[in-house]
Amino acid sequence: MKSASTNPEDLLLWQDFLDGDVQAFERLMSGNFRLLFRYGCKFSRDQEFVKDSIQDLFMALWERRANLNPDAAVKPYLMASLRRLMFRTRLSARSCDEETLQEVEYDFCVEFSVEEQFIAEETTIARTRHIQELIGKLPQRQKEVVYLKFFQELSREQIAKVMAITPQTVSNLLQIAIRQLKQGRKVAYMLVGLLHLLLMR
Amino acid sequence: MDRYSDFSIDDFVWDDYFRQWILSPDKNNTIFWNNWINAHPDMVEKVERARAILLSMQIEEPEISDEEINKIVKRTIAHYNEENSNIQKLPHRDISLPFTTWMRFAASIILITLLGWTAYSVLVSKKEKSQLAQQETTPGKSYSVVEKINTTAHTMELILSDGSHISLAPKGRVRYSEPFNKERREVYLTGEAFFDIRKNPGQPFLVFANGLITKVLGTSFRVNASGDKGEVTVEVKTGKVAVFAQADPHVFKKLEDKSLQGMILKPNQKIIYAGNEVKMVKTLVEKPEIVVSVSEIPKFVFEDTPASDVLNTLGKAYGIDIIYDTTLLKHCLLTAVLEGLTLHDKLDIICKAVESSYEIVDGQVLIHSNGCKN
Repeated sequence: MKSASTNPEDLLLWQDFLDGDVQAFERLMSGNFRLLFRYGCKFSRDQEFVKDSIQDLFMALWERRANLNPDAAVKPYLMASLRRLMFRTRLSARSCDEETLQEVEYDFCVEFSVEEQFIAEETTIARTRHIQELIGKLPQRQKEVVYLKFFQELSREQIAKVMAITPQTVSNLLQIAIRQLKQGRKVAYMLVGLLHLLLMR
Repeated sequence: MDRYSDFSIDDFVWDDYFRQWILSPDKNNTIFWNNWINAHPDMVEKVERARAILLSMQIEEPEISDEEINKIVKRTIAHYNEENSNIQKLPHRDISLPFTTWMRFAASIILITLLGWTAYSVLVSKKEKSQLAQQETTPGKSYSVVEKINTTAHTMELILSDGSHISLAPKGRVRYSEPFNKERREVYLTGEAFFDIRKNPGQPFLVFANGLITKVLGTSFRVNASGDKGEVTVEVKTGKVAVFAQADPHVFKKLEDKSLQGMILKPNQKIIYAGNEVKMVKTLVEKPEIVVSVSEIPKFVFEDTPASDVLNTLGKAYGIDIIYDTTLLKHCLLTAVLEGLTLHDKLDIICKAVESSYEIVDGQVLIHSNGCKN
């Protein structure tokens, strides 16, 4: 799993990018493309749309590079900008009358796979599957927080930046989500135990 | 410390520090968790299960190939790279959708052809030019090629026509034209030398050594190409230096450009270029020196100072980027006298005091810390 925390190399690259270094542009874009693509695909199934959005994003950044923050946390900043750009594009496509710009309803689709080679026992496999199901059932925003926190390893502050909410809201969403994930488990655990008891008879 | 002792498997699965250990282990968390498990043998099974769950839970991510990424990036870059071309900005998606991808594809083909053609013509004219230059130098009209070889056992001092200094190490050899080409000052080096270059942004200074080109506008730095494995190292003392390989596909653009392009090195940074591997590793020089002027050198005496401030002072004095988590380190107070120590000793002491560690990554100092709890 790749960590998305700000690494120094990215920051240096970012600063070269802001200095107008085309090489840095190339490396910054290709270095972050996959991450952004994957993130973008959580919001839209149209992969071409996601690719176009990333291209538009980098072109916009390049044109506005004189006004951008040289100390930005690079990955979260890119993710946040892509998120915003995709939302905006979709809004304008939908003859923007019904929604306010602030909070658009959106789908956040995460799909899991279980790499079974890591698991020796059936029960653990079942357990992993169940956790994944529970994540799938979380409300969109909670799901996104869980994804960013646990699968992209972003910090609370970084998630706040990406999703344009306060760090406190991030903590709240996370807490609720984790509580649900753990609670769901306990119920299922009891069920399994009960079944087990019944079958033993 | 022992909040983990009544953890369930789920608690472990969703615990930050536990995840960190499983998914991105480092020295600190490995030591911590190994110790903890030794102290709690009854928890081994839970830990193992949690580990299995974490490792096996993977997100199904949509795939995109490197080639495709490359294609899109090249396509995006292309119209910025070609400053003097008549190609307009790529049409934005205002036009109906099915057309755009197609048109972009077509545009990219045109672009690539154009780029290839310009690159080709530039290359050809370059060749002709360099042949001309050689013809000019050999008859010894206005230019003459100077070659200096240091056969002595001590460093040889050379002063160039532009006022720059070269300190040539024993067995070193430099070759350059006297006076320099108007466009740029070029020196070919074998062996080791220290360069102190007179600033002239209009006429970049280039050192060619074993396939590596070092380009500066005016700074001081050391190039060592005396290793028998074809390795070259460049260490920067003052100013900024750009390095790139002679085999770089954009080498002509980088040479021509009046600004610095390629990998940029700052004071106290060092690059190791292994020619055969076409790989550059950026790191710090062995003994980083203070780069600010004498009057600006801070007192390295701290009393109850947040570690973040201490590192900040250090970074400024040495002109090095020190990366750390401010929120974690501002609560770590430090009292220490660090005068007269090398940078590495200073960092060692700081890290010991606030229970963290550091490493040099890409010419920068990276501080690993879990913060101070008080």
